[in-house]
Amino acid sequence: MSGLSAAVTEAIEAIEAGPQGPAVGAFFDLDGTLVAGYTAATFYGDRLKGRDVSPAEFLRTVVTAVDGELGGDPTRIAHVAFAAMRGESEEAFADLGERLFRSKIAGTIRRESRALVMAHQRAGHTVAVASAATKYQIAPVARDLGVEHLVCTRLVVEDGQFTGATDGPMLWGRHKASGVRTFAREHAVDLARSYAYGNGYEDVAFLSSVGHPTALNPHRDLRAAAARLGWPVLDLSDPVGGSLIAAGRTAAALAGMNAGVGLGLAYGMARGDLKEGRNAAIRLATQLPMALAGVSMDVLHQERLWTHRPAIFVANHQSALDIPVLGRLLERDFTIVAKKEARWDPRAVVGSVVIDPAWIDRSDSASARATLDGVVERIRSGTSLMIFPEGTRSATPVLGPFRKGAFHLAAQAGVPVVPIVLRNTGELMRRSSLVLNPGVVDVCVLEPETDWSVDDMSERIAALRAKFEETLARWPK
Amino acid sequence: MSDSSMDTDDLARWASVTGWSATPELTPMQTLLWRAERHPVQSSTSTVVIDLDRAPDWDRFVAATEWGTRLVRRLRQRVVEPAVPTAAPTWADDPTFDLAYHLRRERVADREEMLVHAAQMALRPFDRTRPLWEGVLFEGMPDGAAYVLKIHHALADPLGMVQLLSMLQSGRRDHTPRKPVHEEVDALPEPGPVDLAVTGLRADIASLPASTLASARRVGTAAARPQVVLASALRYGASVRRLLTRTAPPSPELSPRTGRMWSFLTLHAPIDPMREVARLGGGTLDDAAVALVLGGLRRYHARRGSTVAEIPVGVRVSLDRADDLGNRFAGALISGPLAIEDPVDRVAAVRGEVLSLHTERALEVLDAAAPLMNRMPSFVGASALRTAAAPDAFVLTLPGPPRRRYMAGAQVQGMYVLGPLPGAALTVCLVTCGDTACIGVNVDGSAVADLVALEECLAEGVEEMVSAGQAVGPM
Repeated sequence: MSGLSAAVTEAIEAIEAGPQGPAVGAFFDLDGTLVAGYTAATFYGDRLKGRDVSPAEFLRTVVTAVDGELGGDPTRIAHVAFAAMRGESEEAFADLGERLFRSKIAGTIRRESRALVMAHQRAGHTVAVASAATKYQIAPVARDLGVEHLVCTRLVVEDGQFTGATDGPMLWGRHKASGVRTFAREHAVDLARSYAYGNGYEDVAFLSSVGHPTALNPHRDLRAAAARLGWPVLDLSDPVGGSLIAAGRTAAALAGMNAGVGLGLAYGMARGDLKEGRNAAIRLATQLPMALAGVSMDVLHQERLWTHRPAIFVANHQSALDIPVLGRLLERDFTIVAKKEARWDPRAVVGSVVIDPAWIDRSDSASARATLDGVVERIRSGTSLMIFPEGTRSATPVLGPFRKGAFHLAAQAGVPVVPIVLRNTGELMRRSSLVLNPGVVDVCVLEPETDWSVDDMSERIAALRAKFEETLARWPK
Repeated sequence: MSDSSMDTDDLARWASVTGWSATPELTPMQTLLWRAERHPVQSSTSTVVIDLDRAPDWDRFVAATEWGTRLVRRLRQRVVEPAVPTAAPTWADDPTFDLAYHLRRERVADREEMLVHAAQMALRPFDRTRPLWEGVLFEGMPDGAAYVLKIHHALADPLGMVQLLSMLQSGRRDHTPRKPVHEEVDALPEPGPVDLAVTGLRADIASLPASTLASARRVGTAAARPQVVLASALRYGASVRRLLTRTAPPSPELSPRTGRMWSFLTLHAPIDPMREVARLGGGTLDDAAVALVLGGLRRYHARRGSTVAEIPVGVRVSLDRADDLGNRFAGALISGPLAIEDPVDRVAAVRGEVLSLHTERALEVLDAAAPLMNRMPSFVGASALRTAAAPDAFVLTLPGPPRRRYMAGAQVQGMYVLGPLPGAALTVCLVTCGDTACIGVNVDGSAVADLVALEECLAEGVEEMVSAGQAVGPM
């Protein structure tokens, strides 16, 4: 299963079959297209929470918003908001953008939009985000998607503070179209061969400025227009949000995990074999909660999990869900290395009883080295190790840099490295979320790599990371 | 193409004309225009100026016109109104039809004089009790002649008029014997106004139970799901409001308009560069025509020292698929940019504006309201048409004959449509005629301070489009 809908797969194949190179542009709207929902609403919600909004401003905003819905000028709401920002520091606002991106917006990026962006990037197209939003909303998203160009509304900044005015028109409706045409002239992009994706009724002019427009999850009026104009419509699945049912399932899953651990350990004690008890506990503690939460797995090359043991398993890390998923995959005789601070994390405490991790005290390098020596011993005696070479979870599916620790251990212990690519765990359980959503986790086990040594380690790590990226970009069928 | 195949072409085309305008009743929209007409301020008169390479033989020209009126029955029919507006007006054969009343010839010194005469002719109201057309052959010009045909919108809209004329014209200079004629039908007794009103009332009463039921059902739905109905009504209302209010305000350089002083201008351009500019801007010939007019008006505003950035322009939008020549059209306003210098970019901007109209669910509002308004006294309809915001310019593109045709032995050099001025300062019609784009401009003389400058600016606008289309080389 590729995880992409047939329509999206078809669109990507059409991009691959079409003209390549930087003269072809691909313009993506932000709100409702790349991300589900409105980033401006997230920003405004934050202002409301911080009580930065006076009742008068709130009333004005609501009235303007309603008027915009009822056929008035829908851009006025933005101007009301810009005016209210007068005197605020640009730097602080940019920081807020980064913070809101990590906590909220990153989780709303549509996976299939990302796949489309990447398809255009692979084709060497000039990819840009074209939006009426400001760069403080767009830049973190664009950076995460690896998109260099922004065509967006600019705010006037004087002495590091907003003046409340915009530099040029707000890039909405005809002005977004005009902004895209200007960008195309400046970057030698041939619009007739270019692509554009938008969802709002105001995006018709923007979409009509390219040869290949697509109405993506369109607003009802754009859907009607697209039907009339014969434009393709793509409906992408939204990132799953935490529903009440999902929350209930998560609670059941946690209970299941604890029950599984208890049962497994009791079994082990009864048999007088703690190692078997642990293995039983892993099985129960991972299978039971995942079944209860409605999470199943679709694993490619499952056999590679067993051909090289003991081994060091490396996986990309997006979600707290990764650990139970990997536990379920590895099934038995493995442990993890974790930082000491995580020992008392309520989410980790149960697992830590089960798999007896090697705790590393990062603040004390002598003790860390000692722990790692112990780990090498454990590996040699048959316990595999699971490591996330990125170190921390990334907010989005974008792969972070790989650290060398896992590979040094492989060289020292003389065991192979088995790479495991996890695709959509971040979607089923967002980075900062405690709620697990039902779905299918896509897993691909890559070819195990043996004979690690310090000499060519950097090159091999880079090559392995590239394989991860390639697998994430073009999921094997 | 050989002469004989040209003949077959002609004969097939002429045979198809006989089916033209078959329905006896006026459509709701035609009815609205017919009843709401307040000539010339709210006129439904369109004029075609046909340039001919020579003056045709008058007798042959009269005979050909006589034949045309027999082929197209409507040219010999008049509109009969019911005594009270319970029914649509009906077409009926005019027993007093006299070709000489409708067709005559005049002598002029040159083309300018002919255009002045044509404008005056268009300003004179029709006799609404006779067939709604009038033709004058202008002779005596140094290079050829001109046939000016004035037609009421109820008889044919500009599109129908151009289609009709291209159908009636001949593929060759020589006379075609044995031309098809409409099989003689026994003239039906002309319905009296009272009969019509009674028939209409009877039909209304007959449909009353069904329409009452439909209304009741609608009320029922509304009661059962008020939020859905309310949301839908609000969205419709919002769309109407956007269509009526969200365009640029009228330019002060194009007012005050009285609608009582018509001046006709004609411009022409080779069609291929025009199409090429359209293609480069990702648009159609319609978009290029709007961009051309905006280019001319941009220069005019600049020359008058005005800094207006955009003006309201009336365009025609197909209610069917966007680029098809569907049958259902709606007029709508766009904000035409005056600030864009590059013709190709201007085409793209116009394209975006026009396509954006397709998101408006209320686009067909006038169409939808027409049957209702027809039941009200005509001044209601007239004021409804007036409230529909008036643009600074209407721009319309009409497909004419694909190659040069002949009228009674004279070759057609160009065909210019001069539309009415319903509240606008300019009405521009671009007719494709063979390899030429014939651009007819009707200007409200009271709204434009410097008519000569406007004509020069529009000519420069044409030039600018053509060179932009040629700059990229041959197609």
